[in-house]
Amino acid sequence: MRVALAEDGALFREGLLMLLEAAGHEVVGSTADGDSLVELLAKEPADIAILDIRMPPEPDGGLITAERLRAAHPGMGLLFLSHYAESHYLMRILQIGTDAVGYRLKEKIGSVDVLSDTLARIGSGEIVIEPVLARRLVERPRGERKGVISTLSERELDVLRLMAEGRSNNGIAGQLFVTPKAVEKHIASIFGKLSLHADASEHHRRVLAVLTYLRSQRDGD
Amino acid sequence: MTFGPARLPGPTREGRLDTEREQWRLRRSLERQLHDGAALRISALALRLGLLRHHITTAEPDVHTSIDDLQDELHAVLQELRDVAAKIYPPLLDEAGLGPALRQAAERMERPVRVDAPADRFGPAAEGAAYFAVVECLKAAARDVRLDVVVRREGQTLVVDVVGVDLRHAAAVLGLVRSLDGAVDVAGCPSAGTITARIPCE
Repeated sequence: MRVALAEDGALFREGLLMLLEAAGHEVVGSTADGDSLVELLAKEPADIAILDIRMPPEPDGGLITAERLRAAHPGMGLLFLSHYAESHYLMRILQIGTDAVGYRLKEKIGSVDVLSDTLARIGSGEIVIEPVLARRLVERPRGERKGVISTLSERELDVLRLMAEGRSNNGIAGQLFVTPKAVEKHIASIFGKLSLHADASEHHRRVLAVLTYLRSQRDGD
Repeated sequence: MTFGPARLPGPTREGRLDTEREQWRLRRSLERQLHDGAALRISALALRLGLLRHHITTAEPDVHTSIDDLQDELHAVLQELRDVAAKIYPPLLDEAGLGPALRQAAERMERPVRVDAPADRFGPAAEGAAYFAVVECLKAAARDVRLDVVVRREGQTLVVDVVGVDLRHAAAVLGLVRSLDGAVDVAGCPSAGTITARIPCE
């Protein structure tokens, strides 16, 4: 995969560069701020841009840079890295795009396998969310769930939580010790309850299901 | 020529407020130092270990396990740094203001809270004191009691209403805002009333 990265911490930037190369990816450029990355990517094509959220232009240059990149290169995947996994940033990221985006903690991509898996999933159009954040968003006390989400059964919420982590049907089945067929049934029921119609693609509907959940938590605030 | 014993005058009100505001700025800069310094170094170390693991041949599973353990330890250290940083000065408060920071605190503490806050900023001291004052109320509230928090500006004053709270927590709120010349009013039912904090701000 062809990747470019922007990160203002030199030690981390160099470490990530080496890990990306060890994983067999081509790094077309690395910069210490967002503006330089936008310039670089105007000339060099790349599949995915990796962005530190908290970098120049301050305070959250990664998000501003991502908006510019999404407008200039709609097909380019975006991987956001941060020291913090916060729903506040996730919502801002999802406002930039709901396909081919990822949001992960800096230290959690510290293996060739995890890094390559994250990039491959973004490359194929998925949303990749740091699992600890996805869990925190979905695992809430029953009484707090609002609106349509409160109509989901506990099992359907389990499935939705795993969908929020970006898992496939087979992955969800493995986690819940049920058959993929049973997972399909739960997902169809979730789509039905959330009024997500069959005309959208499967992946699109999965994302919308997760977004509906996230928004249901936010809108009440 | 000698003088008799004399007491030095205490700091003026302005001097005392300057010192207090400086304390909050210091807290914010300590959080940034943790983030830009120690946390970034440790995150980089986690990557370097991953690289090392990749370069060691698969014939040495013990070494792989040791490296995985070391990475797990680094993740734990980073989590501790995050916890400390949030107690010094929440990074989201610095970056995004009272609304997002208070919603996040409620989410972490699993408390049902409605936060109504403008995008307006009030300076690190007033925002810091207001944030920790509301968090005190959240901590003390029962898990199923819903609080409403309303943040607004009245001229050079940040005003925060916490609605639905036990009024006994007003003393803790006053303790946090008093040093900035803040004031606290209470109204309504003692077990579920309104605590209003007024803090001079930027």
